[in-house]
Amino acid sequence: MARMVESVEVASVERSEVLRYLGYHGQEVTPEVDARLDQAVAAVLSIARPRASFRSFECGPRTIRDDGTPELSLLGCTLVLEGKSIAQHLDGAVEVGVMAVTLGAGIERELRRLSLTDPLGQILFDAAATAAIERAADAAEALLVADAASRGLYTNWRFSPGYGDLPLECQPTLLSALDATRRLGITLTPSLLMVPTKSVTAVLGYFSQPQGGARQRCEACNLRDYCSVRASGDTCQSS
Amino acid sequence: MPLDSTTLTTPQGHKAVRTLRIKDDHLARVLAGEEFLLFDGAMGTQLQERGLAAGDVPELLCLTNPDQITEIHAAYVAAGSEVVTTNTFGANATKLGDAATVEEIFSAAIGCARASGARYVAADIGPTGALLQPMGTLSFEDAYALFAEQVKAADAAGADLFIIETMADLAEAKAALLAVKENSYLPAFVTMTFDEDGRTFLGTTPEVAAVTLSALGADVVGINCSLGPSDVAPLIQRMLPWAHCPVMAQANAGLPHVHDGRTVYTISPEDYCQAVTSMLDAGVTVIGGCCGTSPAFIAGERTLIEGRTPVQCTLSNSFCVTSAQQLVALAPGEVGVIGERINPTGKKRLKEALRSGNHDLVMSEAISQTNAGAQILDVNAGLPEIDEKATLVRLVSELAGVTTLPLQIDSADPQAIEAAVRSYPGKALINSCNGKQEVLEAVLPIAKHYGCAIVALTLDEEGIPATAEGRLAVAKRIVAETDALGIPRADVVVDCLTMAASTDQTQPRQIVRAIRLVKEALPGVRTVLGVSNVSFGLPYRELVNATFLTACFGAGLDLAIVNPLAQRYRDAYASWRALSGEDESAQDYIAHYAGMKEGGPVQTAPTTGQEAASAASDDEPGTAEERIRNLVLSGRKEAVPHEVRALLSDGDGSHDVMYVINSVLIPALDEVGERFEKGTFFLPQLMASAEAAKAGFTVLREEASGSDVPSKGPSALATVKGDIHDIGKNIVRMLLENYGYDVIDLGRDVDPQEFTDVVVKHHVKLAGLSALMTTTVPAMAETIQLLHMQAPWCKVIVGGAVLNPEYAEMVGADFYAKDAAESARIAGEVLG
Repeated sequence: MARMVESVEVASVERSEVLRYLGYHGQEVTPEVDARLDQAVAAVLSIARPRASFRSFECGPRTIRDDGTPELSLLGCTLVLEGKSIAQHLDGAVEVGVMAVTLGAGIERELRRLSLTDPLGQILFDAAATAAIERAADAAEALLVADAASRGLYTNWRFSPGYGDLPLECQPTLLSALDATRRLGITLTPSLLMVPTKSVTAVLGYFSQPQGGARQRCEACNLRDYCSVRASGDTCQSS
Repeated sequence: MPLDSTTLTTPQGHKAVRTLRIKDDHLARVLAGEEFLLFDGAMGTQLQERGLAAGDVPELLCLTNPDQITEIHAAYVAAGSEVVTTNTFGANATKLGDAATVEEIFSAAIGCARASGARYVAADIGPTGALLQPMGTLSFEDAYALFAEQVKAADAAGADLFIIETMADLAEAKAALLAVKENSYLPAFVTMTFDEDGRTFLGTTPEVAAVTLSALGADVVGINCSLGPSDVAPLIQRMLPWAHCPVMAQANAGLPHVHDGRTVYTISPEDYCQAVTSMLDAGVTVIGGCCGTSPAFIAGERTLIEGRTPVQCTLSNSFCVTSAQQLVALAPGEVGVIGERINPTGKKRLKEALRSGNHDLVMSEAISQTNAGAQILDVNAGLPEIDEKATLVRLVSELAGVTTLPLQIDSADPQAIEAAVRSYPGKALINSCNGKQEVLEAVLPIAKHYGCAIVALTLDEEGIPATAEGRLAVAKRIVAETDALGIPRADVVVDCLTMAASTDQTQPRQIVRAIRLVKEALPGVRTVLGVSNVSFGLPYRELVNATFLTACFGAGLDLAIVNPLAQRYRDAYASWRALSGEDESAQDYIAHYAGMKEGGPVQTAPTTGQEAASAASDDEPGTAEERIRNLVLSGRKEAVPHEVRALLSDGDGSHDVMYVINSVLIPALDEVGERFEKGTFFLPQLMASAEAAKAGFTVLREEASGSDVPSKGPSALATVKGDIHDIGKNIVRMLLENYGYDVIDLGRDVDPQEFTDVVVKHHVKLAGLSALMTTTVPAMAETIQLLHMQAPWCKVIVGGAVLNPEYAEMVGADFYAKDAAESARIAGEVLG
């Protein structure tokens, strides 16, 4: 029985990822910047309180609106996923996993403090936090993979509102389906921006057949550090 | 003439004293802490069991399925609930949208609750779902308006009390509680929800919640949701000593789990009740349940309170002030330090900072005082030529971003005080009122209504009394009024007012005696003193100040308003705490002073760090000019101030400020810009160099009398309305400032008209706007349209992740800048 709110652990972030967010492509990194980058990463890891919440719903009817936009309804959930890209992503899925994950308000507060006092510190901290929320999202996604595997199902990978033509307008219902404001402290602005800003929402498909792709080889899988299926000796493609 | 408390109002017109409308004697005894009250359990879990879909708006069921809602309420009443909670958790105008009006939902929901036969109907008010400024975009007053609409609807529909619940943000809880106090006479129960680490998502502790909300006038405070009862119990115990009202607990039935696609909870009613028993033993008097609880849990709790009498727990008698994250409590006999430095009086650079709206200096004063051990920061924005009220409100919000210390709101303008304390997320200290009738009438209602502590100056229409007895007489008159208004004695801090010994040598003794008399004659009140005036006109003032401070501590002084960075004060404070026994076994004193001896090096206070390290780089090769250039290029800021000073004081005086700017710093910055352009520098390197150059400019500004450093511009920057990404904008600002442009930074989430007003007022020639989301680009277009209409002289640069040259043209911008370096080049074109 899975807890509805899971603390997920982000023990490290890839330095190369952080540098990539900073627009790095091979320049010299002076010792000063190098040291401050280390400080920023350490600060993010100590302040972040990554938490995730997820649920899965059976797929309901797939319909097409008058304007040609495909729509996928879910059973027991009012979230409607619309657009060609999500229709394609969930083509053939029997269930949909829905997740939300955040690094928490402490990260947001530190970003604000740095924005008032230390512009360089702010960009380094922001890049490190962006790398950290992606890791936390990997950890949350691994929870869905394990949930699917426990019922003999196979997942593809996470897809967030705002990607392709899946509209940001589904955010309020998605967050409310997970009770994410109460359970995780994720709020929305009228412009549909999540605060804390270092938060991710996503959906993925549960299928009755293995999906291959990025999941095919554990060595290449982003979720490997967080995978509980692999820890039990199976893989999410073979269980 | 004594004030008439029944007619007193704050400057905004809110009544100082609120008379509650309490339904019956039992509820009155509950509010006095004399009897128990039993709420109900979960609504959401019960609705899910009846098939509510995830993501649905449960409040609409009050309209569509009223019988189902009444059935749930009735089951709780049958189990023993005295209070049922309406199904209105998210029933605010934003969340309901077009589905129904707030009035419709509250009217239907209260009808459903009433039909269950419950003794009391509690109107439920949950969080708005949006985060308040400054971290989010919802303003305090907009949140207040959403809550006020709910309060009026519930009051009109016949609720018996309000339950404001599951709050994670102290500012939001405050907005909701004020909405109840200012729009209804019904009692307000307030609960916040805490994480396993003992803080809310936004960092508030149980102690801070209890102090702040009970001072603000909550009739009951407590904890609900998130955790199971055994995790809530220790947090409730932390809350109890600080709540000057009954305390309530509504825990979850453990943590939620997902099983077969359903949300389930794991704690049995028996285990739940066992944990609740420990809370009753500790002093909790109002109980019920939250997520996952059912009538079975309530029936169990009913038997717990049958035949039991409430436990009275011992309340703290400390002087308390809070920020959203920190409680500062001084027990009787303990002494504290209020940092005085955020006050423009006599400070030229701070005056300039407040006039220009560039608050970097204020923020660094806050940080250095925090690091130096201040417990409270005084904030004063009293300059005749600025909008004090607006500046004070903005400073209070910005300061909460850099320090967790509680603030002392320092102003002679009651309207500015009220505006600042109203949205302040915590319990503030007001500085000040005095014995003048007019001042008491204006300021005491603010302290009472907003639950603040207040400084009372011992002066009145006749001026400052010369004697200790005269000062005591004024203090007595003020305290008679605060007593009559029900302001607790521990919240009243009497300032006996320091006078210079050099003008009247009898004064120091009178002041010391006045402190003693006030503490004896008015038990419970506290005293505060700004000591430094005493030494006016004498040499080596720090010594005189410290001696006087020690004498005052001996007479019973509780709080000193001083410069916490001055070593003599720190010595007096630390040694007094060791002598008085407050510093147990003198541990702090020994930790800081072991090994020091007379005539030894005087410890300097920690500074912001910017100038602390003047690591000499003399051993590096080259001329001073080359060394500065290298420091800027390699982004090493620590040694820059030293090198710049050395260059200025070098030889024949030919190396003036202009020389350093035009021949050293600007060429180095140009080189940095070129390297960034060519891709040999990446962003952090560019910023590190900009920081190093800034350290040089800071020295130049200090060395030169302001006018010698030319400033160009002004320019104005903002992240547009609805967007809170400010990194790109901050980078642009840093570069522009380095090139000598005056930058007015309006921050993030900036209203189009507000931005345009500033551009018009300062005749800004170049405006920079940033947007990172497609959803906020329309706000950018709107801002540019207003600028074109109302400030046609102003050129506009735009930038941000979602923009490109075509988009920039579409929104009507004059320039598109792909990065900060390009913004600086465009500024050169436009502003020269």
